[in-house]
Amino acid sequence: MLKMHNIRKSYRTDTIETHALRDFSLEVNEGEFVSVTGPSGSGKTTFLNIAGLLETPTGGQYLLDGEDVSSLNDNQRSRLRNEKIGFIFQGFNLIPDLNLFDNIDVPLRYRGFNAKERKKRIEKVLEQVGLSARARHLPAQLSGGQQQRVAIARALAGEPRFLLADEPTGNLDSLMARQVMELLEFINEWGTTIVMVTHDPDLARRAHRNIQVVDGQVSDLQRTAAPTAVEIA
Amino acid sequence: MLELRPILSALWRHKISALLIALQLGLTLAIVSNALVVIDERTERISRPTGVAVEDINTFGYLAIPKDYDKFEAFRLDLDMIRALPGVASATISNHVPLSGSGSSSGFYTEPNMEVGATAANFYTVDEHFIEALGMNLVAGRGFSPEEIMQVGATSSERPTVAVVTQRLADEMFPQGNALGNAIFRGGDDHPIEIVGIVERNLGPWPNSPIAGRGVFYPAIMDQWFTYIVRAEPGQRDAVLKLVEEKLAERDPNRVINSDTLEEQKDQYYAGDNTMVKVLTAVVILLTFIVALGVVGLTVFWITQRQKQIGVRRALGATRTAISRYFLLENLIIATTGILLGFAAAQIFNGFLVSEFNQPALPLTVTLACALALLGVSLAAALLPALRAANISPATATRSV
Repeated sequence: MLKMHNIRKSYRTDTIETHALRDFSLEVNEGEFVSVTGPSGSGKTTFLNIAGLLETPTGGQYLLDGEDVSSLNDNQRSRLRNEKIGFIFQGFNLIPDLNLFDNIDVPLRYRGFNAKERKKRIEKVLEQVGLSARARHLPAQLSGGQQQRVAIARALAGEPRFLLADEPTGNLDSLMARQVMELLEFINEWGTTIVMVTHDPDLARRAHRNIQVVDGQVSDLQRTAAPTAVEIA
Repeated sequence: MLELRPILSALWRHKISALLIALQLGLTLAIVSNALVVIDERTERISRPTGVAVEDINTFGYLAIPKDYDKFEAFRLDLDMIRALPGVASATISNHVPLSGSGSSSGFYTEPNMEVGATAANFYTVDEHFIEALGMNLVAGRGFSPEEIMQVGATSSERPTVAVVTQRLADEMFPQGNALGNAIFRGGDDHPIEIVGIVERNLGPWPNSPIAGRGVFYPAIMDQWFTYIVRAEPGQRDAVLKLVEEKLAERDPNRVINSDTLEEQKDQYYAGDNTMVKVLTAVVILLTFIVALGVVGLTVFWITQRQKQIGVRRALGATRTAISRYFLLENLIIATTGILLGFAAAQIFNGFLVSEFNQPALPLTVTLACALALLGVSLAAALLPALRAANISPATATRSV
């Protein structure tokens, strides 16, 4: 599903060059649930940005679903993000001016679905995250856990094959964090590949595999759960 | 895909700032469209044909110092001298100068001894060179012969028997088109003045008055009111002005000479209109600039405020074009709202101007053209910020600040 080989990413200012990722290599198989941990500044978010096509690597090769995405232009990357990748952000990143229905509608509009198809998908994912009754509410009218469930619904509505979660429980209390984690596990069981960046070792352990990132490199790979059927195959 | 509904939802949540910009646009439309109509009317008024060769004419007057000065003899000697000068095309003497703001008018009738229903018109006393000297176009009949020119002193009771009139006066007094050869009567008396010629146009001394264009020329020279009107060959006006001044002073130093170009006198007459045009043009430019600044300011503010949101949209699959289109569409909605309000305001404002200040009516086409222009300005003002918004990185979505 995701194959990175010797990915490098550096940021350059007038006086200094920072190497965020150095020869970063990783393979994530279809259907896997991978957690990514590491200290602050280790390169987790940079990895996530590159994996999600939000940034381009300085060097190396990145294959997403078998396609080399290193040389895609901005429009092609936008389309690929929209079609294949779902994002869950730490701060939920819902659009405050739009109600839940319209928030979930955002990526579907960019996908070009017609109104009927969009409505069907939105209702379905709202049902999945248990927020059907709140479709016309604004994000500010929901709790943090509910907002994150909306963000998950938004990520799922396009039926992506690959879900990237950036500290999805970082802004939630333990009860809500557990509920969100259970939801992610449920989504993964249905076949969606998930890569989750987290600081929480307990959550990291719940993934199939945990990747430790230190100084911009994969320092440790730990199997934390049983491999998926896809991986065995 | 257009995001009309989400944009409307977002705008509704920021309705005060959106409405303020819309009102600014509407107010600008109301003021600009009305100002443009006034500018157009004044410009048309200033640039309409005068019927005389404004750019080639100089005028000269004098104040004689000796009390027993023989003006009629001076007129003859001066005009003979002027006509012989190089660069002079023609010269005449008149009681008033067209377009100068100083003149005489009277009521004229087609029947003798009438007291009501007069046609008010400007009148001039001129010599036989007046048509050529003023650069007018004789469209019917004839001018005056030297023998017809009367010398009218302070105590003279002699009255003219022939006149040349303007086409407008001829048409208004004789709608059947038979002015030539017919008589007019001045001021309700029974003395007939036969129309022997018709000139195409002469706006008269007061082009902005209702009687502008109605003119009567008498074959007479008055010693109380006189001005030499000298038409130069094309391109020779300024040289002729200087030369005639010198020669008049040289021929008789016992007088104070004043001179002017007809163009300057016309400019002075239209100074108010010109000022109005300049002030209103400045207002139009300034208002348009301010409204553009307002649009730029609001768009930049909203983009800065929504940087994270733009990053999220990009992360969710929005292309750069989609982001620019979002902000341009948002601007279009605000501008259209403002313009619709402005359309109504423009008509109401114009109704007030027409009824209270006798200003020209505002045609819908002008308001429409202004509305489209303002819409263009608004979109152009929003374009650069919208393009910059499109450059916000999708990685902004994962940044915590």
